[in-house]
Amino acid sequence: MAQIFYDKAAVQVRDLASNEGEVLMASDCSINFSNSISPLYSVGRKGPLGQLPSGPRIGDISFNFLTTITGSYFAQQGNIINGLASGIKNSTDSYASGVRITCAGVSGIGFLNSYSFNVTSNSVSSSSASFTLFGSGTFLPVSGRLAANATTQAGNVGTEGARASIVTGIGHGRYTQMPPIMNTVIYDDSVTPSSQERQTGTIYSADYSISFNHNPLYKIGQEFPTCTYYTTASESINVTEDIFDSGLTYTGIERSYVIDVKGLDPGLASSGSTGTFSGMKVKVVNAKQISSSVSVGLDDIIRSQKTLTAAY
Amino acid sequence: MLGRITREAEKLTINGSGIQGIQSLSASYSSAAQPTTALGIGGAIDYYPQGPQQANLEVGTILTQLLPPNAGYSRDLMQNFTGTFPFSGVVDYGAKQFYFTEGYLETYSVKCGIGQIPETSTNSVIYGNFGTGAKFDSWEQTSSTSPSLNITSYGSMEINLDTFSTNRVSSFDVNIATPRVPLYALGIDQPTGVIAGTPIEVNVNFELEVDDYEIKSMRLSPDETVFKNTVITLKKNDSHDILLRYDFDNMLLTSESFNGGVDSNVKMNFNLRSFILREK
Repeated sequence: MAQIFYDKAAVQVRDLASNEGEVLMASDCSINFSNSISPLYSVGRKGPLGQLPSGPRIGDISFNFLTTITGSYFAQQGNIINGLASGIKNSTDSYASGVRITCAGVSGIGFLNSYSFNVTSNSVSSSSASFTLFGSGTFLPVSGRLAANATTQAGNVGTEGARASIVTGIGHGRYTQMPPIMNTVIYDDSVTPSSQERQTGTIYSADYSISFNHNPLYKIGQEFPTCTYYTTASESINVTEDIFDSGLTYTGIERSYVIDVKGLDPGLASSGSTGTFSGMKVKVVNAKQISSSVSVGLDDIIRSQKTLTAAY
Repeated sequence: MLGRITREAEKLTINGSGIQGIQSLSASYSSAAQPTTALGIGGAIDYYPQGPQQANLEVGTILTQLLPPNAGYSRDLMQNFTGTFPFSGVVDYGAKQFYFTEGYLETYSVKCGIGQIPETSTNSVIYGNFGTGAKFDSWEQTSSTSPSLNITSYGSMEINLDTFSTNRVSSFDVNIATPRVPLYALGIDQPTGVIAGTPIEVNVNFELEVDDYEIKSMRLSPDETVFKNTVITLKKNDSHDILLRYDFDNMLLTSESFNGGVDSNVKMNFNLRSFILREK
């Protein structure tokens, strides 16, 4: 059957080593598989010798999904992508094993290339992730054929059947606050220190992103890499406020932040009382502000943006 | 026998003042819940809130009761909310009530025609709370101002436009749009502030029974652009006591229309528009 409706095309991510997995609430998904065929020419011949491979076959998969907070993955509260990102950037071992990503019967072992999410006032948080599929040994980067997922979201992969109810586990700007030290604070230096007016910015939205670099090791006599190593990662947060910080320092000020993306508390939804619901944790270590900008358009206030970056 | 609630059991109070002469009143909110559709979704559909939670209040009144004269303020209570200040209130219906807080006027209109009492209509957006429940325990009515009976009518109003000495105005309406810009921050469901937007758009529409009115050229702009000062004065019925005055300078003529028919006199409609910048 070639015609598969979206309700049978769940995006599943599973770590083969720990068997932890999750079906994500993806709004779209795209899989690409390509080879590096290029024409080869030679002197004395008008036409090409042929179209020949000049590199390994490689794939990628990317999807957008709701920022679900469904439990602890790799000892990190949130969803499996957030847990995966946290695990990679804090790893002490460079060897990367990748995770299996499956959508409508097509799957591959992917290495997290980038992960991002946004939190905006009064809006549900959405995330996006992209993986590079290198393949391994004799395993193709992308395999399988289109097939409908027969099962529903709950309980079909790993241990996610025991996760919290999904409706109360979606990150939302209504319930999320950035750590107070993230707010820009400025002082009016045109007056004496004793009467300085302190201004604290209000955060209207925050966009988080992290990208990873992986290094696949190829050897002669084999198309796909023997192993893949994680090398570096760069992380950034773009914060929208209403205060412009013109005091950007030359060397930057180093701070660490713990972002706690929260959704509706299950206790609040069921009984009206706040429970102990924990949000999705993202720890940004030794971040420095690298830019300040300000913009204004018609029918709006002047909004400022600052970018905080960290490297791993 | 099923009970019903009729007009005598309905009441609107805004900032402690009972609104008189109400012809229509509607208040509404809509849920911001969106379904959780996703790839591979199965089982039940759940919901999550998306977008700000706001309510709307629409009030239509006839201008029969007005506030006492007070310099700097309109005697029509609702017109005073075209500025920066919000209002709160309560709607009584039978033995029940619902409340609202942080209401901001978005449109204010007044209209009148031959044989009618001038009517106002307002549309407001509620950024605070709306409904019933524990959130409203702290709601209090502020000191009230009692309006007095001052009936206006079409027979005791003045319209100052230079074309009306020979052409009869059969109806007019004034529409004032006051934009609002709510600012929502992370972590809370109510705006941290509401900016009174600028400029304020004013549209005045007239309907004339024509004697010698000349329709302008479609290509009047920009060479022959027509600007008019418009003053509409509402007086107490059979009196020279001025109750309300709508006074707009340099209004741009933006449209004219001609309407003829077998069973009516020729009528002409035209629109004047201006924009008012809020004071700093």
